[in-house]
Amino acid sequence: MFTIYRHEIREYIKSLFIWALCVGGVGVLCILLFSSLKESMEGMTESFASMGAFSDAFGMSQLSMATLGGFYATEVGTIHGLGGAMFAAVISANMLSKEEDGHTSEFLFSLPIARGKVVMAKWSAVMSHILLFNLFCVSLYLVGIVVLGEDMDLQEFFLYHGMQVLMQLEIAGICFGVSAFQRKNKLGLALGAVLLFYAYDLMARVIPDLSDYKLFGPFSYANAADLFSSGEIYVEAAALGAVVLAACVSIAHVAYARKDLAV
Amino acid sequence: MSSVIKIDNLTKSYGKHRGVANVSFAVEEGDIFGFLGPNGAGKSTTIRSMLGFIRFQAGSIHIFGKDICREKETILREIGYMPSETMFYPALKVKDIIQMAADVRKKDCRKEAQKLCERLQVDVDKKISDLSLGNRKKVGIVCAMQHKPKLFVFDEPTSGLDPLMQSEFFKLIQEYVAEGATCMLSTHVLSEIKSYCRSAAIMKEGKLQCVDSVANLTRTNAKRVKLFRDGRQESYIYEGDMNELLQTLAGYNVEDILIEEPSLDEIFMHFYSETE
Repeated sequence: MFTIYRHEIREYIKSLFIWALCVGGVGVLCILLFSSLKESMEGMTESFASMGAFSDAFGMSQLSMATLGGFYATEVGTIHGLGGAMFAAVISANMLSKEEDGHTSEFLFSLPIARGKVVMAKWSAVMSHILLFNLFCVSLYLVGIVVLGEDMDLQEFFLYHGMQVLMQLEIAGICFGVSAFQRKNKLGLALGAVLLFYAYDLMARVIPDLSDYKLFGPFSYANAADLFSSGEIYVEAAALGAVVLAACVSIAHVAYARKDLAV
Repeated sequence: MSSVIKIDNLTKSYGKHRGVANVSFAVEEGDIFGFLGPNGAGKSTTIRSMLGFIRFQAGSIHIFGKDICREKETILREIGYMPSETMFYPALKVKDIIQMAADVRKKDCRKEAQKLCERLQVDVDKKISDLSLGNRKKVGIVCAMQHKPKLFVFDEPTSGLDPLMQSEFFKLIQEYVAEGATCMLSTHVLSEIKSYCRSAAIMKEGKLQCVDSVANLTRTNAKRVKLFRDGRQESYIYEGDMNELLQTLAGYNVEDILIEEPSLDEIFMHFYSETE
């Protein structure tokens, strides 16, 4: 099992660093830009907050953009939220299907390792990549905050990033589950699903009739503006996310073990 | 001698596509067993069922006396398999793939792998993506042989290999079999069956046509008849009463005639095309 895990870690290590460098790099640049934007933000905060549904959707009605916390939640929160979700989808969507797509499944299946162990090794690799991605990005953001020298509530910061990890794992779990049924790589489908989840969350925040259903989207409990303004976890949504994650990985486990090798 | 592979009434259907139906045969320990059949005959389906890659609807498969559905991991530990379409992870180097195959088996195969790489002239520092089909096949052979399994299963192993490597490959097979291994060889190359296999099975349209020793399979009443009459040459395989043939020929204006044993290729082609 460890051999397969190590192989998957090596296979995606370049992709991990490219994504982490891009998302983390853009995030840290945003943080470093804060001091030069701070004064103009002070003047614009009121107008940002009075943009109705648009302000609600992006959390600008709840936080002041003139504070580092508010600026971080609206700017870096969006970049990290979308970038992290896309990375999770990319890393997991092909994890199982790539063996048949790349015609390597006969080699893999001829090795004396149970399919269930293959699934667990691959899922462990997905989790490790997501954790490493977040570790790298969060380290960069912290360096940016220290260099900037501004005060920021680290409890909310870590709460937000903890929820981001759960959200990325949920999205990865969904893509991983779908991957178990596929014989061809479906990267476009995975990225499309991320954008759909994001759009669903925005709509649920803007349209009052949809607000009760917000919890069904993975972005609902990992929203930076909510977490930085309230400092509380949206427990129901996070619990549902964890259930969906566990269900998807279990389905992948069962489906892959029973799957016929493509002829 | 005990059966290393025992297949009883194997039936696998792909819905609209034909799979295999009621296939039964056994491969004895120490045998080099040929598995023949035209494309789509069900050879790969049988092999994939044997190795637990696909689930089958009916029948049973026992390898080393163990049920493949129940003890797949244990069975695969003692099998060296090379598929017809030998593909590996393109970003890895040859040595990484060989090491990976050994690591999963938790065996130190470095000595055997080095010997195989030398004999098959495998460059272990090359990337998989830079290899030709023939070189990928050689890597596949090393991965299948390095752990010295009790059973080899090769699906069209020599396609893409140059004649020198084909010869080396069969030398290796014979050496391992001499040490007690068993080999199942799925191939289209009939001369390989004639030269190396002791027994063979012939598949056609998902059904087993026959299984016997190669000596018995090639022992046939069929004759190749080459006839020259009315300025034309006719050539056909005749299987039947010789007196009837002579009576028929007596009615022709025969200029010359040659009646000979059919070649091995002709015998197997006869099995392939035979109507049920």
